[in-house]
Amino acid sequence: MAFPVKRLSSQKSLKKGVLEEELCTGCGACVGLCPYQVIYHDRTVQLHYCDLEDGKCYAFCPRTPTDLNALRELLFNSADLTPEIGAVKSYYFSRAADSRLRESTQHGGTVTALMELALARGFIDSAIVSSRNQEFLQNGTVVNEKAALRNNAGSKFTVSPTVAAFNQLVNDKSGKIGVVATPCQALALAKMKLKPVKNDSGKIGQLQLIIGLYCGWTLSAEKFTKLLTQNNISLQSLKGMDIPAGKNILELYTNNDTQAVPFDDVQACVREACHYCLDSTAEYADIAVGSARFGNDWKEMRRWNQLIVRTAKGKELVELAIKRGVLEIREAPVESLQELKKAAMEKKNTALRNIIRKSGSAKNLLYLDRHDPIVQKFLKNKASDKKSR
Amino acid sequence: MSKLLSPAKTEVLFMGNEAIARGALEAGLSVAAGYPGTPSSEVIENLATVTKERKLYVEWSTNEKVALEVAAAASFAGLRSVCVMKQNGVNVASDFLLHLAASGTRGGIVLVTCEDPGALSSVNEGESRYFARMLEIPLLEPADFQEAKDLTKWAFELSEKIRNIVILRSVTRMSHASGNVICGKLPDKSGIARFIYDGLITDPLRGPVISTPVVIKHTLQQEKVKKAVELFEDSPFNKYFGPRHPELLIITSSVCFLYSQEAISMLGLQKRVGILKFGCTWPLPTKLLKKYLRLTDKIMIVEEVLPFLEENIKVAVVGMLKEIGIKTFYGKMDGTLPSVGELNADLVVHALGKIMKVKYKSLPGSYTREIKKIAPLIPERELTFCPGCPHRASFWSINNALQLDGRGGFVCGDIGCYAMAALSPAIGFNTVRTLHSMGSGTGLASGFVKLNAFGLEKPVLAVCGDSTFYHAVIPALINAQHNRADITFIVLDNAGTAMTGFQPHPGLAVSAMGESVPAVDIPKICSAIGAKVAISDPFDLEGTSRTLTSLIAESGSLKVLILRQICALSPEKKGKKKFLMQVNEELCLGENCGCNRLCTRIFRCPALTWDQIKKKAAVDEVICAGCGVCYSICPQKAIMRTEAAE
Repeated sequence: MAFPVKRLSSQKSLKKGVLEEELCTGCGACVGLCPYQVIYHDRTVQLHYCDLEDGKCYAFCPRTPTDLNALRELLFNSADLTPEIGAVKSYYFSRAADSRLRESTQHGGTVTALMELALARGFIDSAIVSSRNQEFLQNGTVVNEKAALRNNAGSKFTVSPTVAAFNQLVNDKSGKIGVVATPCQALALAKMKLKPVKNDSGKIGQLQLIIGLYCGWTLSAEKFTKLLTQNNISLQSLKGMDIPAGKNILELYTNNDTQAVPFDDVQACVREACHYCLDSTAEYADIAVGSARFGNDWKEMRRWNQLIVRTAKGKELVELAIKRGVLEIREAPVESLQELKKAAMEKKNTALRNIIRKSGSAKNLLYLDRHDPIVQKFLKNKASDKKSR
Repeated sequence: MSKLLSPAKTEVLFMGNEAIARGALEAGLSVAAGYPGTPSSEVIENLATVTKERKLYVEWSTNEKVALEVAAAASFAGLRSVCVMKQNGVNVASDFLLHLAASGTRGGIVLVTCEDPGALSSVNEGESRYFARMLEIPLLEPADFQEAKDLTKWAFELSEKIRNIVILRSVTRMSHASGNVICGKLPDKSGIARFIYDGLITDPLRGPVISTPVVIKHTLQQEKVKKAVELFEDSPFNKYFGPRHPELLIITSSVCFLYSQEAISMLGLQKRVGILKFGCTWPLPTKLLKKYLRLTDKIMIVEEVLPFLEENIKVAVVGMLKEIGIKTFYGKMDGTLPSVGELNADLVVHALGKIMKVKYKSLPGSYTREIKKIAPLIPERELTFCPGCPHRASFWSINNALQLDGRGGFVCGDIGCYAMAALSPAIGFNTVRTLHSMGSGTGLASGFVKLNAFGLEKPVLAVCGDSTFYHAVIPALINAQHNRADITFIVLDNAGTAMTGFQPHPGLAVSAMGESVPAVDIPKICSAIGAKVAISDPFDLEGTSRTLTSLIAESGSLKVLILRQICALSPEKKGKKKFLMQVNEELCLGENCGCNRLCTRIFRCPALTWDQIKKKAAVDEVICAGCGVCYSICPQKAIMRTEAAE
């Protein structure tokens, strides 16, 4: 299908081009703006018909067409840009200095440590993070203090409508905001900075910090819940989960024990939209954080993060964190960056292939602009792949 | 004093239904039962106001079949009784009616059916005249207000003469229009009930009342029909009006008589066209018919809705062809008149003018041109729920729950004000997808969910009102439970038979006569059936939507949600506002992204208006019922509510 040409209402374009095509990431960018759309479980639901032709819902969605070049120009120093993983000012291995904090987090606690510092030092007044409820459903939560941040630490694996919480917060009050975001959420927030809507009230100025999370995919809440039920794991008892390197399983940490689910089963629960996403390193964030696993060093490196600093603002925060002893850092081995780039490139190639399969033509890249220089580069790669085969 | 009790010989302005009630009183009525339905409700309502003075028993029954059974019991005990319903009600009562007609009756009993050609307040224009022919019962149709009274009174006499029930059929324009009626005498004595059942089974007056032995009773029934024909031949209610040698004979009945008279006069055809008006339309008095058919070769039959009279006349004519010769008929069967919708004088003028080759200009051309200019200026008025109507809030939450559920679920509608959600889909937020007879929403829903085996995997909801629940839903609900149809069934309980004028129903603690009676509890019935039952206030949008969403998500069993909120127009509520509503224009986003006029474009309460100049929402305080629901839907909290002083 071709992306619906505007003329339809924004809401209808969104429905046809994103929701019905299963491209919706559930990021929440189109929610919290109006009473017409809500997130229910991890689905975007249109409650009533809106006929506006210039709606924020369409403009903010990370899966509607975006002028990515303009965005890169606005946000980053062109010298820092890489085709695989976006802008890189600096690249570290890091972990929170506070060992108690590390215990409650997925890997090294870098994200929580940085957010705590941002709050404490007045970089931001509120942080928006994702939290989950008893039914494993995610929500964006506004946090203004340290303790609450720690309560919500840890990876969630299902999507959270975090951007909806941002939309709500800027509507409710003023103040500087930091958001912990997946790549799609970071892109939605970044799109807002382009001020794509007429009569926008300009509240995007409140957004001071995006800490992005590496993300390969998220799970569909519905499918994943079914999988857990099939494996007799109650949602209430689930504490956390992780993917140990090289084992092809998902480990689930419950109140009493650790259980494993074959990774193929988990893969079947991946949200359809994630197959069409090119960004695994939160390219439009100020700082991007992921696990430091690489090579065969999993056990050792599991408690560390890797960290990409992308913007000047990100740099300022990370340097302050190091200076104040909030973050411990290690220099990352060169292979690590190579490996990350390779993985990111693979994700891009796979996603492009999936997009072309869905649209039926390399000339139609759904939400992507085929003339975008980075997209072009990967399209060429694919073309040369074919030849070499 | 009720005008129904006006003294004899006084001339009173009666609505058609009042005239029917007065006729029944003059006949010495003892028992009246019915189920409300426009345009029939005023007959029982009026009788209920004179129960003490006339020593009557009057009830609103659960449904029309029960009403007829209640009235029949009085007849079996020798009393005069009436049973009143709208056209669909006759279908509901028809099973008992078949057996009643076969068993015969004792005291005079009249089934009054007030029908709705053109479906002005119905979802069908079905007519019940065919029941008279099918079940072999006499049929009477009054043609003016005096006749409405007189024919009703005579109907009881006829019923006693032939010992069978008689149908008296009215239509909206008779029941709801008014005219002068000269009253007759109200009898002094009241009846005494005696039910005799010790005689032989074949003794219609002393034995048990039963339709068997069938052939013997059926023979007896047909003899009664023959007797009725004899009486009809001489009845003053069948009458010819017009010249001795008309060029055209109109045969008509009911209000079509008035349309025909008007048409003749408008075309100035008084000397050329005659009218044979039948008050007794089945069985047809063929001798009388023959006499007037001889007057001319051109016959036009004017009736509503289907060609019932026309068919019967044509059948009768076949038997008298040798005597009367070949005739040309005009009517519905040849398309001279439409066989759908109401008739009116204009339609008859048009038909008559064509046959008689008379041109008639009803309006000068300038009038039409002027109308065309003005018409677009008239604001469009859509069917809608009243300001403060609980149904709007209920459907709001139903839509939300269905959208959140996301499986494309839909609602099967039912009969009541909430049927408007099907007739004007936008006011039901496009949720209601079927609408048929009373109770059928629930039956359809239980059928739909069974189609999951054939690929229709959607949640199915059914709605019904409180009165409808008692009337016809309970069997469908039991069916759903018995057959594991996991529908979500919603009772829109607004505490009364609201659409027809707040007649009491079994859920209320008051009877038609104003006496205190036990209220039958809907949640308890549903629980007893085995359903999971939840109750919510539809004005609590969030709570209702949450409850409903979780009910819809549950599969495997019957779920019931009772949405309780009194009708905005109910006598208890009328005029009292709970909240005073006001729009804060500073906060109102209007047409901007973030709102896009949710309140006036989507929610559409008539009390919410749109100020074209300011581009802001406003509340029309005059019609606002003060329910406060719009406060909950405004994303900006720009619609403010303050508790109204007591």
